[in-house]
Amino acid sequence: MHRRSLLASALATPFAIALALPARAEMDISRAASFIESTGQELVGVINANQPIAARRQRVAAVLRRAVDVDGVGRFILGRWWRTATPAEQQEYMKLFEETLIRNLSARFGEYEGVRFSLGRSQQRTEDDALVNTIIERPNSAAFSLDWRVGEVNGQPRVVDVIAEGTSLRLTQRSEYSAVISRNGGQISALLEAMRNQIAALAAREGR
Amino acid sequence: MRSLRRPLLVLAGFLALAGCATRPPASEPEALAEYEQTNDPLEPFNRTMYAVHDGIDTVLLRPAAQVYRFIIPQPVRGGIRNVLANLRSPVILLNDGLQGETQRFGTTLGRFLLNTTLGVGGIFDVAKDFGLPAHGEDFGQTLAVWGVGEGPYLFLPVLGPSNPRDLAGFGVDIAANPTTWVIANGNDTVQTLGYVQTGLTVLDAREGLIETLDSVKETSLDPYATLRSAYRQRRQNDIRNGGGQPSPALGTGLGAGVQAPARN
Repeated sequence: MHRRSLLASALATPFAIALALPARAEMDISRAASFIESTGQELVGVINANQPIAARRQRVAAVLRRAVDVDGVGRFILGRWWRTATPAEQQEYMKLFEETLIRNLSARFGEYEGVRFSLGRSQQRTEDDALVNTIIERPNSAAFSLDWRVGEVNGQPRVVDVIAEGTSLRLTQRSEYSAVISRNGGQISALLEAMRNQIAALAAREGR
Repeated sequence: MRSLRRPLLVLAGFLALAGCATRPPASEPEALAEYEQTNDPLEPFNRTMYAVHDGIDTVLLRPAAQVYRFIIPQPVRGGIRNVLANLRSPVILLNDGLQGETQRFGTTLGRFLLNTTLGVGGIFDVAKDFGLPAHGEDFGQTLAVWGVGEGPYLFLPVLGPSNPRDLAGFGVDIAANPTTWVIANGNDTVQTLGYVQTGLTVLDAREGLIETLDSVKETSLDPYATLRSAYRQRRQNDIRNGGGQPSPALGTGLGAGVQAPARN
């Protein structure tokens, strides 16, 4: 497997360099790509830093809070239920959502020791968003590709979705949350309750 | 959807036992839109099947996959996975052809020839190093390319997430695989090898999904809904040949849609 990831990185690196040059033709793409590049390098640096896992996780969380459009993603995921939620429920949902997202992602990324990443092909998908392709390599694992959907939020590039092999994280999670609410008679409070329990469980596990 | 009416009728027979999800009234357009989007009118039946599957998985499939991982060391497991993939090549080749994908047809043919010979019966994926990476293809995808709709979402024990189109495709792929016929007409030894192949296919697919499915069950508030969404998105991606590693070749795609397994 080592040989394979070496081969993949040998192929991916010149590709990423070649990509950085003609990308200036389309301002949005190059901006999104360099945003993902710098955020990714920052994350990789933090993940591979020689620090205890808890400290690493915290620093990963800090990078993610800056890079991800947490508010926009949270609203997108609650979807049609956002409008039926009371202002208090909306507020609590946002708080719980941010915590769930950051905890889940940083717990996952925090364990990716030895991770390397490089830009793959990059392409614009919609008028507003750019899709930036990256290749993630971990020791002893096959390389895989992740697409980052980058939108502009208050003039700044922000991650609005992560797509793995055609599967969008925000679409999958919207389906999940909506199922929880629908199956509890349209009660947003049921989702909030489930999220609270999940956070407690995650916290308990991290504490181990 | 229209072209699926007949298989739907067949299914309706035993699905009638389980009842259907309630379609939201037209006065709730958003709920209705979501209902259509989710494409799961048989949800109560499917959730029951998911519960059955989850039981089988917990007591049988997952433990078996763990034992498999424990007793077969890695380079050997990778070789087994490659052999199983190589045995599927004729089916992939056929579907490449039926979809008019000439380049991918060539890739599959080249892979089969190289891996069967230089790769010692498919144990080593030498074709990859020759610039011929693996891709998956099945008759469910071919039907989709031909314009057949997926029909309602289905969850089946052991086979996992599916739909009438992909389920029919699964059957056609088995019938179209030369291996199936060699095994069916072979002597006892050959038939035993056939069982071994089936068993290893299940073990290999489940082993590759241990971490992925564990993480879905751990982090999702509704794993059934997560798998449903992930499967349908992943199938869309596979149908338009959107790239990514081929999903584990277990039936209609248990776990397809979740991140392809990393090989350890």
